[in-house]
Amino acid sequence: MFLQFVINSIIAGAIYTLLAFGFTIIYGTLNFFNMAHGIAYMLGAYFSYVCRIQFGMDLPLAVSLSTIATALTMVLVDRIGYFHLRKVNAPSWALVVSSIGVAIFFESLISMIFGSDTRILRIGEATPGYSIFGAIITQDQIWILIVSGFLMIVLSIYLKKTTIGKALRATSNDTEMARIVGIHTESIYSSTFALGSALAAIAGSLVALQTDVFPTMGQGALLKSIVASIIGGIGNVPGAVFGGFFLGFVENFGIWELSSSWKDAIALFLLIFFILLRPKLFGMEQEK
Amino acid sequence: MDVIFHLLIMSGIYIILALSLNLVLGYAGLFSVGHGAFYGIGAYTGAILVTRFSFPFWGELLAAACIAGFFGFVIGFPTLRLRGDYLALATFGFAVIIYSTFVNWIELTRGPLGIRGIPEVQFLSIQFKSLWSYTILVGFFVLITIFSLRRITHSAFGKVLEAIREDDLAAMAIGKNIAKFKVLAFIIGAFFAGIAGVLYAHYVTFIDPSSFVLQESFLIFSMVIFGGMGSIRGSIVGAAILVILPEALRFLGLPSEIAANLRQLIYGALIVFIINWRPEGLLGKSKDIKIEGPISLESKVNAN
Repeated sequence: MFLQFVINSIIAGAIYTLLAFGFTIIYGTLNFFNMAHGIAYMLGAYFSYVCRIQFGMDLPLAVSLSTIATALTMVLVDRIGYFHLRKVNAPSWALVVSSIGVAIFFESLISMIFGSDTRILRIGEATPGYSIFGAIITQDQIWILIVSGFLMIVLSIYLKKTTIGKALRATSNDTEMARIVGIHTESIYSSTFALGSALAAIAGSLVALQTDVFPTMGQGALLKSIVASIIGGIGNVPGAVFGGFFLGFVENFGIWELSSSWKDAIALFLLIFFILLRPKLFGMEQEK
Repeated sequence: MDVIFHLLIMSGIYIILALSLNLVLGYAGLFSVGHGAFYGIGAYTGAILVTRFSFPFWGELLAAACIAGFFGFVIGFPTLRLRGDYLALATFGFAVIIYSTFVNWIELTRGPLGIRGIPEVQFLSIQFKSLWSYTILVGFFVLITIFSLRRITHSAFGKVLEAIREDDLAAMAIGKNIAKFKVLAFIIGAFFAGIAGVLYAHYVTFIDPSSFVLQESFLIFSMVIFGGMGSIRGSIVGAAILVILPEALRFLGLPSEIAANLRQLIYGALIVFIINWRPEGLLGKSKDIKIEGPISLESKVNAN
């Protein structure tokens, strides 16, 4: 039983990490809480659904296409919803409000197109799981671990080594200075949006392999991204990875005793706790 | 004719909600995005008190408003120290948690089944049975709310709130206990939202968690933004328009589910549009709400 909880925690943590990674780099570079982050997660799942079920594509192709489509959509959203506010140097609350508008817009757009009932991405029977010392892990869950692990490694190398990655970190550190040294910050903003949303979209598609797809699925995802990135210190990438797994473990071990419908309550408790006390676990939180 | 009364009642309830949020959001500048939670708390408290303990209307109304106000204190007090956008996160989380409490605490709220059979209001020995009489009752509370909020915002208290919104450091420097003012704004806002909740519960006679989802909070939020933050007239007009506008969609002959979503879609688009291009809203004063930040080094570099 214990091992099963550990496995569940790790899988939940992997998903939360993907979400928090995107949320935190968007906060780091654009400096606002993107309340439309859950939308990327939801759109990812729906685009995958369309590609997979309605056009009958292979799963990897469907997920890749959906990720690209989501990233492009969110870049477009950035142009329409946030670009002007950035230009006039608006305070971050204005961007938060705008992102709430974006979230409402897309949630209702998807409900209009697909209806509010749930959809399933899986075709056919669920694949049987493997048993490790009595704990069960399904094939889909193994895929979640592989894909998210791979992405985390690639992304940390990307941020550390490549020129774009360095420019991104520089912009997140000090936008004005980045501009002065000749970094085109607007294109960094766009690529940050694309990258962060792509990660959320992948998370959405992966989760959709095992659970339902529905228009409001992004709200829960947004809550988890917020909590995980606040735990790790917002704007801090290694912190987001830690926060994701921490949340996964606390949630899953929390429901050992409580009913599983209290998952969100546990997440909220963590959120309030970390927002209020803001223990600087990583000591790198940027106050801006 | 019934449709008109229905619209008047719903506009009335939302006007109370928008006004109460406006005090928190527009006057005090506190980014509460979970106002629907207080609305829900008011509705549930009222419904439980009247169906289980057969409270009289005024007792139930007062109790519900006070409990909502108490929750305003509970969420307002610890989150005071937070900067604007952190507060938005905390209130967002609060709204999620209240919703999941409505769904999960089955002994108290009957969960997704909801509470049925909320009786009609009996107040001052009058039975508010018909639609038009209920319209008058709601109208009465709308007037009370408008009157109280006008008094509050024109008082010294309201001025301090505005000062906090503009520059909390300066407000602190002239010796104002800004924490106390912020919490009070939260409590008053929640109090009136609780009243709106009770009025809603008695009107529909059946409440379940689906009436208090996150979209409801966002809807109230968009009414305030649309009407203009910090403008009482703006909130009234904003709430009325956003309640009545969707009814116009009905005449387009859309199926009700699509119409409901189209309504939300328009709200979302409106918020983005307003905050980008008309941040002071429909009736706000542009000198109050500015989204243009100070000219920084960045923009100078851009200009050159």
